[in-house]
Formats: sequence, structure tokens, C-alpha cells
Amino acid sequence: MLGTIALESLKRRRSTALLTLISITISITLLLSVDIIRTQVKSSFTRTVSGVDLIVGAPSGQLNLLLSSVFNIGTPTKGIDWQSVAALKRNRQVDWIIPLSLGDTHRGFRVVGTTNDFFEHFMYGDKQRLVFSEGQAFNRSLATVIGADIAEDLGYHVGDSIIISHGLGNVSFNNHDAHPFVISGVLQKTGTPVDKAVYVTLEGLEDAHSPNQSHRSTPTLSKPADAHEHEHEHEHEHEHEHEHDNAKPEAEVYNNNAFSPEQVSVVMVGLKNRVTALQLQYRINQNKSTPLMAILPGMALAELWQIMGNVEALLLGLSALIVACALIGLSTMLLASMRERYQEIAVLRSIGAGPGTLLLLIQLEAMLIALFSTALSIGLVVVIMALAKPWLSSEYGIFLSGTLLGKSSIIIIALMLLATYVVSLFPAITAYRRGLHSELSGR
Amino acid sequence: MGWQRVYIVYYKLGNLVGADVLHQKDSKSNSALAISVDALTFSYTPDSQPVLNIPQWKVSDNQHVFLSGPSGSGKSTLLNLLSGTLTPTSGSISLLGESFSSLSPRQRDKFRAQHIGVVFQQFNLIPYLSVEQNIHAAVYFAQKQTTNAVTSQRLLALLEALRLPQSILKQKADALSIGQQQRVAIARALINSPELLIVDEPTSALDTAARDSFMALLKNVAKDSTMVFVSHDMGMASHFDTTYRIDDISALNTTQEQASGASSC
Repeated sequence: MLGTIALESLKRRRSTALLTLISITISITLLLSVDIIRTQVKSSFTRTVSGVDLIVGAPSGQLNLLLSSVFNIGTPTKGIDWQSVAALKRNRQVDWIIPLSLGDTHRGFRVVGTTNDFFEHFMYGDKQRLVFSEGQAFNRSLATVIGADIAEDLGYHVGDSIIISHGLGNVSFNNHDAHPFVISGVLQKTGTPVDKAVYVTLEGLEDAHSPNQSHRSTPTLSKPADAHEHEHEHEHEHEHEHEHDNAKPEAEVYNNNAFSPEQVSVVMVGLKNRVTALQLQYRINQNKSTPLMAILPGMALAELWQIMGNVEALLLGLSALIVACALIGLSTMLLASMRERYQEIAVLRSIGAGPGTLLLLIQLEAMLIALFSTALSIGLVVVIMALAKPWLSSEYGIFLSGTLLGKSSIIIIALMLLATYVVSLFPAITAYRRGLHSELSGR
Repeated sequence: MGWQRVYIVYYKLGNLVGADVLHQKDSKSNSALAISVDALTFSYTPDSQPVLNIPQWKVSDNQHVFLSGPSGSGKSTLLNLLSGTLTPTSGSISLLGESFSSLSPRQRDKFRAQHIGVVFQQFNLIPYLSVEQNIHAAVYFAQKQTTNAVTSQRLLALLEALRLPQSILKQKADALSIGQQQRVAIARALINSPELLIVDEPTSALDTAARDSFMALLKNVAKDSTMVFVSHDMGMASHFDTTYRIDDISALNTTQEQASGASSC
């Protein structure tokens, strides 16, 4: 009965109730969206990289290096000379390195030049290794491995050829048409920027960029891994074997570590003993003969999160204020409606409704609006997030995954309903305190 | 309206076996005195003159009492005191054997809902609820131990007695004519089979023919209840067992304007 009365009462004042509903819905939607983005960004952050002890690049800035190497956002200002990379690799503390060469794209997706070490050593999330859903790592110089989202979005499979473009725009007029890369593998979804990257060999990337459009794939087939001393010997030896490259698979014999590019953009470093990370970082940063910059990914992520966290806290605070304003609006609406409702409340009292029942009735109306607003907001948030998902991942590297409404969203909804209860107490108490007699007799 | 068909059958079966659902009463109606007022005074504000001073007034169970008096003589005030919407300044009121004036506001609300039916001068139906919802609200808030079947049976009987069509149940209260509102207000007041019915000038907007017709209806549906009916129209006195002028029971002989901004319960 109380539900019927509350609902009919709201229907009676449908225009004010509707406006209140809209304002609360918008404010909750905003609050939930901010919260979802916040939690998803945090989750994306923590998932992005693990097991990498140092990231080394040309001296620019900690964040620039982190964003370009891990999030595929922006590019390092300068490259690192390969000799420096080789020297780093020779360091006794270093277990492995992953060179990364950035700057190209394929249909808007970042192209990353690297070696097969990337697929062997790179880890994300809780030390999870990359897994191939299809195919394998680089099996030739003009091979490429693509992330799960690219395969899904563009419908690529192993064996397909792709052309990469120079530069970072979505549309490029400088395509490396003469050097189509053949997809050798597709990675399983990780929920990190890896899903949206095209990995190519350093050798293939350098070939695509060489002025005479030649390449040097086959000489590396049987070269020893430690080839830093042979850097330029093979440069022009096999200029005419391009056709071979596309024609025959070289799966078992391809050794991309034999190739030495002139320079790379960044290097991810894994150490034999993580404890030495700070020491090595210090030595790299202090080395005046080779100006390099080494960052600890964990610390850089923390710094980036601190910047983001402040913005996030500010946004969350603003959204909470908007919700508070909307709830005050709800209370105002109820108070304003009380003037016209004193008589009906007196009638309800006269037919036996007790103080608790009347409080419940007024609060039920407020709760009905709040609950309906919450349901609408959740629906809206789901739609908005579904629409914004591709944009957020391509523009900001934020990957929406898992359950949208997490623990914090549920806490927000619960707090909002509690706040509704509190703000509706005042009009409810005011209603009951009005005299019974004066309203019934029209005094 | 499937339930209505079921209860019409139920109601007719009830009639066949001689049950009179309209005039069933609670055990409290066995009390010999329905109303007992002792040394009652009432002032709207502590500093103002009392508008009522009743040394003693008693109404027996099942009596239909007509209370008249000029405007401002305190008759509506007395009804408000009897219905518990006003609290006496001093003295006591016992209703149906219960010391009504010493109950807490909440207890008074509950007692009123369960034992007293009130027909207000302005009818006071909740405008956005349907007729059915208005009447069912009275049942719901009274929290009487009764079944839906009995309530629905009584509702249909009341509609028939008040000559209201069943189709009116779904209409909103604010879409009714004055006459319909009046009868719906009576149905609401009687739905819980109250032992005491308080009626405050509901015929003021009616012509003589309509008024007599209404009174015949009211007497019929409330024949097993004690009724206190207030009006300034002495022409209606013939419909009642006992007639009082407010001056007969109140020690005050002056007519006083009642202050506005009444103190309320």
C-alpha cells in the first residue's frame, strides 16, 4: 500500500519528480563513470608491465620514457646508439634486454620493432608471459606478430601481409609498400597496450626505412647471437633477396639477434638480481661518456599514477559534489511538495498512519527516485563505456576489462542511497510535525 | 476485477446464509457508554478563553446523536476532540470504555483508525489515489485483524448501500462529483466497521432532497454504530435519536470566534 501511495504521489508531481530524476541520474552517471575510469586506469597501470627491472633510453624524462615504451604513447626524443645497447647487454648484471624501436604505425596501431626476446621475456599483470593464440614469434626478417585487438578489429590471421606506415598518424602518406610484413603470430589478449601493437623485427623495420629500400634478411639466418662486432658488414650483401623473404618460411633458422641496427628507441632490461637495479640505474645515469637515462618502471608508474591520482581525486570530489547538489535538489523537491501535501498527510494520520509509517512513506518516494536514477545511471554507464571503449584504448591506452561496477562503485551507490535516506529525513519529519487538526479542518 | 467477481459470489452466499456483512461489529461495541466526557475544557492557546467547557456528557452505545449550534459555537472543536485531532486542555474523554484523552498521539491515531470512522466536512480524500486505494488505505493503516475477503465483501456491500457503481472504484478521487466524494468518504469511514462514527457537516453543499436521501443512506449503513453528527441545520434533527445543542452541554453560553493557528495534537 505504501508503495502504491508513494508511486501515485510521484506520478501526481511528475514534472518536478522527472526533473529531479534527471539531475540525480546525470550526477550518479558522472560519479560512476569517473570511478570506473579511475579503477580501470589503475588496473591498466598495474597490469601493463612486470618483470622488467629497468627501461633505458635517451635522456628525456622519466614519464616520456615510460609512456613511449610501455604505453605506446608518444615517442622518445632520441634513439640509443646500438653500441650502447650492446654494451648494456654485455654488463654482467644484465640477464636479458629487449630493444624497442618506435615511430611507425599500421592503420593507426603502433608498430614496435623488437626481437624475439620480447616474446620470451616480457611479462604483464601478475608475471604472466605472452602467449600466442595463433602462429609463433618472428620467423623471418619481414615477419610481424600482432596483438589480439588488431587481429580482432582488422580480421588478420597468420600468413596475411601488412604494410606499415612511417609516422604516428592514423593516415600516413608514406607507406613502406615495398616491404610487406607477413604475420607469423597472433598474441592472446592481455588487456594491456600489447593488444594494440604490431611487433616487427628490428631488421625488417630498418630495411623498410633504408633509403634504397633494400634489406638484409637472410644473412642473419645463421649468425651467432652476439653480433655486435659485425654491425655493418652485411649491410649490402644481399640486396636482391627480397623476393626470397616473402616466398619461403624460415621458421627454425631465423636468428634476429644477429642483426644490429644503427639505433633503437628504448631498451627494456631484465637483471640477474633485481637488487642491483638501483645501482645499475645510477651507473647508467651517471655515465657521462654515453648519455643514457635508466628508469625503474615501478617508480615511474607510481609517479605517473600520482599525477593521475590527483586528477582522479579532484574529478571524484567534483562528481561527489554534483551528487550532493542533486540530492539537496531532491530534498528541496520533497520539501516544496510538502506544502501541498500537508493535508493528505493529515488524512493519512487520521486514518491510522503512524509517525514511522509517514516517515517511511516520504522516504520511500525519495528512495524510489534514487533507485530508479541508479538503475538508469548503471544502464547509461554501461552504454557510455561500451561506446567509449575503443576511443579510450586507442587514445589513452585505458583498457576497460572485467566487471565495470566494482567494489568502489557499489560503495558509491550504497553511500548515495544512504545520503538519500538522510536528506529525505528532514522533509519527512517536517511533514509529521505539522498539526493534524489545522490541515483537516482547512485552517 | 477478478477478485470482485469472486467476492460478489462470496457476498451473495453470505446473504443466503443470513450473514449481514455491513452491520458486523467488534466486541468493544458491548460497552454501555460509547462516549463519556468529564470536566472537559479546551482553549486553542494557553492564554485564550476556553471555547469549550463541558462538565459532563455521555452518549450511550448505538445512539445516533445530532449536535447543533451556530457557527463558532465549538461543535466542530468537540468533534475534533472526540476524534483525537485536538487534545483537551483539561478533563477527560473516554471512548468505548477506553481513556482516549490519556493515550499518546500514536496510540490515539491507532485507536481512531481501528474504532472511529470520521467523515470530514471537506471529505479529505487523497486526490491522486483511486476510490479503491483511498478505501483500502484506511484498512491498511488500521491494521485490523481481518482478511482481504472480508474487507472486499464489506466494500462491495458499502458500495451497494451507498448506491455507488463498482466502476467508481478505479476512478481517481479528484475526478468525482461532490456527491460521490461524500459517499466515498462515508465508505472509507465505515470500511473498518467502526463502533463510533463522527460526521462533520457533510451535507452543507446539498439541497434538501439530496440531503434527506443522503441521511437515509447514512442511517442505513451506520445503524449499528454510535454516531455523532454535527450540523448547524436544525432541519436534520428529525433523523436522529437524540438532539443536543452545544449550549446544552457546554457551560459556556457565549459564542466565540475560534482562534486560527490551532494547537494540534
